[in-house]
Amino acid sequence: MTDTTDTTGAARTADTTQPAETPRRWRVTRRRLLIGAGATIGSLVVAAPAVIEYGRPFLAEWMLGRGPGSAEIPESALIWFELTGQGITLHVPKIEMGQGVHTALAQAAAEELRVTPGQLAVVQADTQRGFAASAMFTFGSSSVANLYLPIREAAATVREMLAAQAALTLGVAAQALTAADGVFAVTGTGRRLAYTEVIANHRGPWQEPDEKPVLRQAHEFTSIGHSAARVDFRAKVLGEATYGYDARLPGMAYGAFAVPPRFGATLLTAEPGDARGMPGVQQVVIDVAAGFAGVVADTRTRAWAAVRALKLSWSEGSHVDNAAIEAQITAGDGVVLRRKGWIGSALGEGRVVEAEYRTPLAAHAHLEPLAALAHLPAGAEGKVEVWVPTQSPESVVEDLRAAFGEKREVVVHVTQLGGSFGRKGGQHVAVEAARLSAATGKPVHIGWTRETDMRQAFYRPPTHTKLRGAVGTDGRIRGVEQHSAAGDIIWAVAGLPEGVRRVLGFDPGGLLGLFLPYDLPAYRLVNRRERLPVPTGPWRGLGLLPNTFALESFIDELAEAAGADPLQLRLAHLNDEPEARRLAAVLSAAAQMARWDEPLPAGRGRGIACSGDVGTIVAMVAQVDLSGGRLRVTGVDVAVDCGLVVNPAGATLQAQGSVVMGLGSALREELQIRDGQVVSDNFDTYPLLGMADTPPVRVSFVGGGEVPHGMGEPVVGPVPAAVANAIRAAGGPRLRTLPLRL
Amino acid sequence: MPYPTMGPAMRLLINGRHHEIEHPDEPLLWVLRDELGLTGTHYGCGIGACGCCTVLVSGEPVRSCQVIAAAVGEQPVVTLEGLATRDAAGEVVALHPVQQAFVDTPLQCGWCLPGHVMCAVALLARDPDPDEAAIAQAAAPNLCRCGGYNTIKAAVARAAELARES
Repeated sequence: MTDTTDTTGAARTADTTQPAETPRRWRVTRRRLLIGAGATIGSLVVAAPAVIEYGRPFLAEWMLGRGPGSAEIPESALIWFELTGQGITLHVPKIEMGQGVHTALAQAAAEELRVTPGQLAVVQADTQRGFAASAMFTFGSSSVANLYLPIREAAATVREMLAAQAALTLGVAAQALTAADGVFAVTGTGRRLAYTEVIANHRGPWQEPDEKPVLRQAHEFTSIGHSAARVDFRAKVLGEATYGYDARLPGMAYGAFAVPPRFGATLLTAEPGDARGMPGVQQVVIDVAAGFAGVVADTRTRAWAAVRALKLSWSEGSHVDNAAIEAQITAGDGVVLRRKGWIGSALGEGRVVEAEYRTPLAAHAHLEPLAALAHLPAGAEGKVEVWVPTQSPESVVEDLRAAFGEKREVVVHVTQLGGSFGRKGGQHVAVEAARLSAATGKPVHIGWTRETDMRQAFYRPPTHTKLRGAVGTDGRIRGVEQHSAAGDIIWAVAGLPEGVRRVLGFDPGGLLGLFLPYDLPAYRLVNRRERLPVPTGPWRGLGLLPNTFALESFIDELAEAAGADPLQLRLAHLNDEPEARRLAAVLSAAAQMARWDEPLPAGRGRGIACSGDVGTIVAMVAQVDLSGGRLRVTGVDVAVDCGLVVNPAGATLQAQGSVVMGLGSALREELQIRDGQVVSDNFDTYPLLGMADTPPVRVSFVGGGEVPHGMGEPVVGPVPAAVANAIRAAGGPRLRTLPLRL
Repeated sequence: MPYPTMGPAMRLLINGRHHEIEHPDEPLLWVLRDELGLTGTHYGCGIGACGCCTVLVSGEPVRSCQVIAAAVGEQPVVTLEGLATRDAAGEVVALHPVQQAFVDTPLQCGWCLPGHVMCAVALLARDPDPDEAAIAQAAAPNLCRCGGYNTIKAAVARAAELARES
């Protein structure tokens, strides 16, 4: 990520409550993003191809271990916390897309501020206020994990500042004050002073304490670890929340722009055609050099209709279809990412099992299609202001500056996101809206149709995994050889030369869930990445769900070959390493929840699967019923170790929702591509899982700890494998391709 | 479009108030959202498959993306914005029991709320004590990509309780 010091600096000086000269007093170590790390490694790779051949497994392991990090934490606590006569407002430097991050971070803040939830107003940070450079990039289930301590430290700093002012007003030492429920009380007296009065009494800039504030101990927590009501839901049930599609300004018009008919097609010529004379059309905007042809109209449907009437010609682009994509994703040759023991001799012992697994392209299918509102005055000067649902406001700033000038002042307001699952990481539609606004001088809103949203997207890349393993009648696995192939995820959206990607041989996103977590005498993993003619990219969990489907299905196949219980076989191959012990614990917990040892009637079965991602460990047992020749999932029991759980209610929703999304992938979702275009472009042809097919999902948190790990993605991982294993256990076939069909 | 433009005299009765509308030939969804600023009703698919655009027309859940505004005529329309009890100044005095239940038992992103809330409001109006099957049947046509289907069932059951208590 590049630096956006200009934006942050401008924001700080523009706000009187933010001291410009305050030195940084608390911070977390900057950790680079996977993307950034990959780019750095990339240059080394080119320089030393011989070294990389042997170093690649260590590099892959190192990159996986680093995980997603936040990049920049602001210098002053007052960038996040605004103090006014009404009280304290938290400008949350992360995006709310349903994951409940505004609530969880508000809980962490309230804990240290010592206020009740109602005493802390919570708003979305934007590039004018609360923006902490790339910390606002919301991805990789990293928000709560990375900001849990910084938010608490900032909140405690604010509490200390307020205490100092209160002590001054009350004429006592700050040590004589206790804080609770937004009020300071003088110990041993009845004297009290509310935070709001403290703030009202204050004059001049706030002084942050030199000492790092003392944080509360876990046993003192009254907010962290307790289920909290969502801070955004009252507005949502009243219909008052502003999502990207809802952004509006007086006098605004509606825009639409032409999208290519096939992947890779570019605009060659464009003329208004019949669009100009159509009802409500205010302007046709054509800039072939920028690949842009759009319209502005007085209603949205008229804009949509007019854009279809533009006279356009496109370059050929790709005519790819599902079969061609599948043929390109073929496991086999590649780079070695793990080697342990002597795989050749290991596969010469015991029973050898071979199996191949495939997963298809899948869409994010967030229910709110992409949208943006832009307002900028005509000409090359003036502020570009956009309202956009994005996980990455920084990318929007960069995109707008690329289109309208690097020096241009850009203000990005992030709205609520109606789902995202990785898709709204990059959100170029703000640029298209800005082009139309620039041409008309009016605020212009673009809201995509569902069909455009499904077609102009990137998708979870398909995978092919070939596994060979040997297992003895003693139930010990002798070794596993794995050949994995997948389309790009991170490399598809990050700028890195193809030559470097080729030498590197793997995609950082494809590493998620790629490695068997079991302790095996011999293990060899050969990986292959492919750049596909279809746009691919981050989808909830990146490689986690496709990879886990293959690996955790295969472990069950080995168990079956050995005549072993799938749970016991897993437990027997987990060693004393910390992550392995956590895996064993969640496996045992999920099995207990699901009464693993109790027999089921004929036609029903249980399947178990597990995975680890972003520090969180998950196991689950799915139960299926195959009676009547129909596949029904009748229940899922999930055990999660995500460290400290900040908001149990919110984390439970994340886990349950991940199971449902995982079941969608397991049972239904498969993007259909014909002639270089997505043909499954709405919910009639790309059916999502509905209520009728959703079983009860029970969630249990085990483990605990001092710090939280991610909850946005990990639980999606094991779902398809658990279901496939349950189908086999119920006497059904071994299904090795998603979606699972009897 | 099956309905001709009827001119600016077209009126709709929305959340108890009459509104003059300019584009009676547009789907009700876009009239609500873009002409009247009632953005609580959401667009998700435009083919009546997801339920995000659900409103009540004469008390029945209707997919507003599938209805031309002119076809609604004088039938009363209720949207998310029209459910709460408000004072003369328009301030919320009390949430509708279904709204309160979804605050107590929230979903995740909330884009699908119109479908789930409106179908629950209609269900409770005709059956104040629905069993689990009735709740599931009423909610089933609406999608939730965040996967909150079990939460939705719990919220509707809670709404029924709240409505009976009040």
